[in-house]
Parts: sequence; structure tokens; C-alpha cells
Amino acid sequence: MKLTRRNLLSTVMTLALFSPPAFADTADGDALNKMTWDQVVEMAKGGTVNWFMWGGADNINKYVSETVGGVLMDQYGITLNRVGLTDTVEAVNIVLGEKESGVMDAGSVDMIWINGENFRTMKQGGLAYCGYTDLLPNNALINWDNPAIANDFGVPVDGCEVPWSKAQFAFGHDSARTPNPPKSIGELIDWVKANPGQFTYPAAPDFNGAVFVRHVFYYAAGGADKLLGDFDQARFDEVAAKTWAILNEMEPYLWREGQTYPNSITQLNELFANGEVALNFNYEPSQFGVAVAAGTYPETTRTYGLSGGTIGNTNYTIIPFNSPNKAAALVLQNVLLSGEMQYAKADPAVWGASPAIEISRTSPQVQAQFAAIVLPPSVVSAEELGKNALPELQGGWISAIEQGWIAHVAQK
Amino acid sequence: MHRDPLALRSFRVLTGAILIVWLVLPLVPLAIWSFARGWRFPDLLPREWSLKAWTYALSDTSGVLGSLGLTIFISVGATALSILVGVPAGRALGLYKFRGKQVVELMILAPVIVPGIAVALGIHSVFISLGLTNTVAGVMLVHLVPTLPYMVLVMAGIFANYDPAFEQQARSLGASPLQTLWHVTLPAILPGIIVGGLFAFLVSWSQYILTLLIGGGRVVTLPLLLFNFASSGRNDITGAIGMIYILPGILILLLTAKHLSGQNGAVGGFGKP
Repeated sequence: MKLTRRNLLSTVMTLALFSPPAFADTADGDALNKMTWDQVVEMAKGGTVNWFMWGGADNINKYVSETVGGVLMDQYGITLNRVGLTDTVEAVNIVLGEKESGVMDAGSVDMIWINGENFRTMKQGGLAYCGYTDLLPNNALINWDNPAIANDFGVPVDGCEVPWSKAQFAFGHDSARTPNPPKSIGELIDWVKANPGQFTYPAAPDFNGAVFVRHVFYYAAGGADKLLGDFDQARFDEVAAKTWAILNEMEPYLWREGQTYPNSITQLNELFANGEVALNFNYEPSQFGVAVAAGTYPETTRTYGLSGGTIGNTNYTIIPFNSPNKAAALVLQNVLLSGEMQYAKADPAVWGASPAIEISRTSPQVQAQFAAIVLPPSVVSAEELGKNALPELQGGWISAIEQGWIAHVAQK
Repeated sequence: MHRDPLALRSFRVLTGAILIVWLVLPLVPLAIWSFARGWRFPDLLPREWSLKAWTYALSDTSGVLGSLGLTIFISVGATALSILVGVPAGRALGLYKFRGKQVVELMILAPVIVPGIAVALGIHSVFISLGLTNTVAGVMLVHLVPTLPYMVLVMAGIFANYDPAFEQQARSLGASPLQTLWHVTLPAILPGIIVGGLFAFLVSWSQYILTLLIGGGRVVTLPLLLFNFASSGRNDITGAIGMIYILPGILILLLTAKHLSGQNGAVGGFGKP
């Protein structure tokens, strides 16, 4: 790039102009909730929306900035400013800091890609704008009767966020090297002992590593049913003792004799890519397709669910209570929920994320498009995985399992 | 020193070469990764090559080129401000004894000792009340928190070995305060300003969490874009953005290399206790 002074100046000027003035009207959520959709769209036109989201995947960034941003600009004249994060909690902290400093209608964050613990923080801390879902025309495409949509990691959504995608945990293997991978947690335990050094999992609190430990926890509990609802110390103690026994027995047969664990899913991905371990897993099976397309994993990579089911979740978009651009954020949410945008995102060449809407409620054209999707051979289909889906637990369980793993398995 | 110039010279060349290799070697895999389409153990080189990472890094979506100019602007500004504040502070700490000097020294060093995340949220709240969040000026100012300790430390070291009598001589010979500063003080402390400024620039250049919090997503510097990919294991894109990211640092290092010989006493701590 030629870095002329004019160039530099214009960059700075653009950024100075970027800070939106706090229009009381588009910041006032209660007033918006009483309007018609056409009035909201009218107010949103020509505005800007600052969407904070994890930014570590170029395909997702392209989909958001180019596809979604293009539709927003062409149809509504709304500018989409995608702000990349390495961790969603960074955006939650900005909103939290603003609330503590009394910034009630001129916040920096207009929307966050979110779920789980971060949603709980936002909802319990009164950081979320709620009660607008009926306003969105595409809300009709969401099946709020599905408990997996109406609850975010066991926390009722209560109209404080709208779903964007669904994800379900899947295991991955190189079919050329490991033709018969273990298809249940029980089989995995035996397989690890028969194949020393071929398996490991990232240490908690890594997101994916903690999900793996939860699968073992469900297995030790004999199913997820007894674990649903609020945290129960007595039940936890009983199941946890069995879980730690299983994992400690497995430990000497892990990669590097279990003396150390990968500290993140990234490190496990590299071990898998280098062939140091035979199995991998991810909450986003589409990531295996992305890695094969990028040449990181071999072409013979395949993914699969477990016979006892794998854990699934839904991820959402949330609008902070102090967003000054709520009207534009609502238009963005409505665009994201449209059949066309959900299809574009489900296209494995674009991203391969499972839709959070009911496809049967979309137009015949969109339904036909969804029916025509061909997944790469490395990615197991959402329907196939969905046949055996396990729910996520409430935050109390999740943090107790993570802390218990650290105390009784990692530090033992 | 004069006894064995040949041996000394070859020793210098050798250490210089080792230093360059030590600096450049870690960058080689980064450069290779940026052109690789997958690179798996035990391959010595990637089996397939691709420009995809560079295509993304140079695209509008990545925003890398747009943020390069802004990042340079912020880091140069933060460096200039650091010099402006750090030189007088370093002079006071290097030349004079005063009550509570050790407390002041500790306070100046505190941002280096205390982890940034611990104070970041408090700083955020202060900057909100000052109306400085979401602005380039706010980001430039907040970068002074981590850059100043380096600047002040280096300048205190310089002034500890500096004799203010030269200034008095110049003044008694009729030089104005400005002339004294320009012709006497500045030439004497210039190596320190260059070393301290280099530190300040590089520290500002690598800020992540402070920029994100205070910039509020409106001020997007290169680390914000780079760390997204570095933390998600995308070595190819990390490599491509990383190559762009290190350019200014290398450029400045080359330009100031002759002042970094280690013979100018710029790395001397606070000097007189």
C-alpha cells in the first residue's frame, strides 16, 4: 500500500467520524418494542452497526463482512462494522465496564455473537436488550418450542437473544490411518488403552476439552437426564467420583503418557494435523471441512457422532442494553435469520454452519437450496449427528466439572 | 582493545551473525507458512503452495492494509508523546535526589510489573468518564501506560551519566536556553531517546487488550487483526499478516542499528540511587 499523508489522514478522519452520535431514539429499546417493523427499518436506514464476534476464521469473516454486510448496505444502506475478537468475553467486559461507568445509551457494542456463560453474564447482569423478538418478521422461522433453542446452556433465553446457528460435537479421524475409530465413550476408553499415545484432550478450561470431559461425565452418570436442571451437589459428587476414576485410569495411555495435556484445541488440532494423535474432535464439525480444504488435515479425514449421542448447542446474537444503534442491530438480526442468509451460511463452500431456523418454514426455493447442499466427505451431516443429540448443562454443572477436572485429574 | 584487532573483529562478526540468525530464523517458518496450503510433520517443506492467505490478508474484508497506516500513526504518536514526557521525567530521576524518589520509580515501573488485564477495566472506566473511548486519541494516550516505563527507565540511565555542567558552560558563554537544549543537551542524550523511542514504538505496536477496550472496535490496529488468527491456529493467515506486522519494526531496527551498539550507556537503570 502506498502510505501517503492524505491516505493516512483519511483513515483517521473516517475513524473519527465512525463514532456514532447517541441518537436517543435508536438507543431506546422500550420505544422500539412498541413500534411496527416498518418504523424500525425506517429508523435503521443509513445507520451503522458494530458487531463484535470471534474473528479467527477467514471464511466466517468473509461471510459476515461481504455477504451479510453487502445485503445490509444494498437493501438498507446500513454499514456493518465487524469487530474481530479472540475471545467473546472481551466484548462482554466492554459492556460491563460501560454499565459500571454509567454509559446507558451510548455504548460501543451493538451486537455480540454469543452463548453459554457469556450469555448468562449478560442476562443476569442486566446487560441485554430483551423483549423484541416478536418484532422481527423472521422470528416466525424460529421454533421457540424447541428446548434446545429456547434455552442457552440451560438458561432460558426469554427474548434476550435470537439464535443464529446450531452446532454439535463430533469426533474426527483419518480414515486411511484409523479405519475403525471408537464410536462411543465406552469404546473410546478401551481403545485408548489398546492404542497408547494416540489420544489426548485439551485441558479445561479449553472449551472443546471441557466438552469432551462432559461426555465422559454423561457416560459415568448413565445419561444426561439426571443432570438437567439446577446444580445438585450430591448428584455431582457421586458422578464426579466415577468420572475422575475413568479419566485417571485413562491418563497413562494418553499422548506423552498423560504427563501433560494440550492447553487448547488449537494445539490438539496441530497434533492431529501432524499425525501425532489419531483422534480429534470439535464442536463445529464444519471446522474439519475447512481444515481439509485449507490442506491442514489429510483428504481422508472423516467425522462422526457417538452411538450414545454427542452434546449440541445453539449460538445466538445479542444486543447490549446500551447499544445506540438498536434499530440497525434489529435489522441485522432479521437479515441473519432469513432463509437466504441461513442457506448461504450452511453452504459448506462458505462456512457449513447448521441453520438455527426451521427449514420447513422457509420459502420453497430456500427449501430446495437446503435440500441440494452436498457436504464435503469430511463433514458429518447435522441430520446424522442430530439423531443422537445430548443437551448442554447449566453453568453451575459446567464450572463444577471444569474445576473438578483440574483438581482431581490434572493436578493429581 | 588494540592488542588483537583481528580476533576482536572476527568475534564481533561472529556474534553479529549469530544475533541476526537468532532474530531471523524464527521468521522463516512464518514466511513459509504464509505460502503453504497445509504443512504437516514430518515434511521439511509444505507439499502444496497457495496464495490464499495473502489474498485474504490483502483483502478489504481483513482490513489489514487499512489498519497498517492507522497503527503506524498511533505508534508514532505514542512514541512522540513518550519522548515528550519521558525525557524530563528521566532527567529528574537520573540527576536529582529527592524525597520519595524510590516510590516514584516504583510507580513508573508498576505498569510493567502488574499484568495489563488487571488494570485494563479500571482504565476503561476512567477513559469513559474523560470521553476518550472509541477515539484514536484515546488509544494513543492509553498506550503511554505501557510505553512510559521503558522510556523513563532508559532516559534515567542516560541522565545518570550526564553532566549538567556542560549546560551551565554553554549558558555562561551566551547560549539561549533553546540553543543549549539543541546544541548541548540533545546531542548528549540522543542515543537514549532513540533506544527509548524504539522500545516505546514496539510496545505500542503490540498492544491488544488496551486498544480493544479503549478503541471500542472503532480503532482497529494490526494486533487486533493478527491475534484473532494467531489464537485460532490459522498459521497461514497468521504468517501473512505477521509478515506485514513485523515490517515497520525491522525497518526501524535497521535505521537505528548503529545506535544500538550497547556502548552508549543507554541501558543503565535509574542510575544514582
